[in-house]
Amino acid sequence: MNNSKPLITLDHVGVYYRRRNGLFGGDKFWALKDVSLELYPGETLGIVGHNGAGKSTLMKVLAGIIKADRGIIHNQGYRASLLALQLGFIHYLSGRENAILSGILIGLSKKEVEAKLDDIIAFAELEEFIDQPIITYSSGMIARLGFSVALYADPDIILIDEVLGVGDAAFNKKSTTMMREKIKNNKTVVFVSHNADIVADICDRVVWVEHGKSKMAGDTDVVLKAYHDSLQSAANTPAVQPDTTV
Amino acid sequence: MLKQYLEVVLYKTYADLRAENQRSYMGFLWWIFEPIMYMSVFYVVFALALQNNDENFVPFLLVGLTIWQWMKSCLTHGSESILNNSQLMQHVYLPKAVFPTISIFTNSVKFLFIFLLLMLYLWSEGFVPTQHYFALPLVLLVELLFIVSVTYLMAAIVPFIPDVRFILENFLQAVFFMSGIFFTVEKIPERYQDWFYLNPMANLIEAFRDILMYQQWPDFSSLAIISVLSLLVMGIAMYLLRRFEYVYPKISI
Repeated sequence: MNNSKPLITLDHVGVYYRRRNGLFGGDKFWALKDVSLELYPGETLGIVGHNGAGKSTLMKVLAGIIKADRGIIHNQGYRASLLALQLGFIHYLSGRENAILSGILIGLSKKEVEAKLDDIIAFAELEEFIDQPIITYSSGMIARLGFSVALYADPDIILIDEVLGVGDAAFNKKSTTMMREKIKNNKTVVFVSHNADIVADICDRVVWVEHGKSKMAGDTDVVLKAYHDSLQSAANTPAVQPDTTV
Repeated sequence: MLKQYLEVVLYKTYADLRAENQRSYMGFLWWIFEPIMYMSVFYVVFALALQNNDENFVPFLLVGLTIWQWMKSCLTHGSESILNNSQLMQHVYLPKAVFPTISIFTNSVKFLFIFLLLMLYLWSEGFVPTQHYFALPLVLLVELLFIVSVTYLMAAIVPFIPDVRFILENFLQAVFFMSGIFFTVEKIPERYQDWFYLNPMANLIEAFRDILMYQQWPDFSSLAIISVLSLLVMGIAMYLLRRFEYVYPKISI
């Protein structure tokens, strides 16, 4: 797999946020300091790290939402999208209208969404309710619709932040299965998670991000082992334990 | 790419308008009743309470209010649009100019509707269309250009300094009273009349009245000046929006 050219390359990328302090004041806070990684076609790349390590910022960089303030990002023109659930949903509109709106916002054309609409509705199991305003839906129904749109949006590269499946137990199983199938199906995926078990299960390679720096990249088991060891040693010396809520 | 963003703007405009209609019992009828109620207040105050007996005061007032409200609704909603969509732009990349454009579209659709009613009213009052109506698209376009430029500029600034919204609100209130909505320029002392015409809205409202009521051509030179200034402001606004395209998602309020 790694003998093909990477779709996206990050080369010593750094991103800062400006912490505001009055009207003109403010200091830079580097959420990413020095991250390098390569994303190859068809692979599932896991990203692990503590809370506040910069994982979410890294995903925004990959999605093209924010730019690197230093370092270089190479993207050969592929559309990488966050798996955005219920993006742009408006309560007073029908399920159908929300599906179209959400699909267009994610980056599909109206024609593309309309062509996929039957599948989206069927997967969400909302055939009877699709023309009702979603304000009449249960939260589970809204979650199903949101997931279904995101699933069928199908960008070149899917960026998944923690959530694999949604909804009640039955739909959660169905959506997780569908997502895993997609991931195994030669789709290029970046998957962020705290959960090392899922990462070990679905990822081909893993990048470990710590304090805004890519600390290690490589085969899943090797990187996860190193990550685990550091968690253990951090637990043994609580004084230097970084801020986590895991 | 541009086609995709156009679809975003059009469908979101449709969705926002539809959501607004779904939110009340009378829905779409509020597009008509709300401005009528709003304008009635001015009618009661100026025509009845203050005994303004100028000939054709009511059509005069209604043209002024309609034209003013178009600009005001676009600007107040549009200036907050990038700020209010900070959640959305955390999840997907969209050119930030999309957000004020949606605000301008939704409010302009509502305006066009009211404008049509206004013309029906004027025709029923005997202000029939003349050949001067040929200048109407031009004047509408110049005001739209003006609206787009100031709305883009404010939308670009407000996310950095949200406090600007409060200044803008009061500033608009002040300009409202200086735009000749319920008085003619002859009512102000002559030495102030040049100052009066420094206000683009005063010129635009007068241009509309020229066409719709007075059967004369608008002052094309002032329209040209407004267009040039608007293009300048638009250039600055577009520069800012582009410069900070990837900074807006990083602003945390």
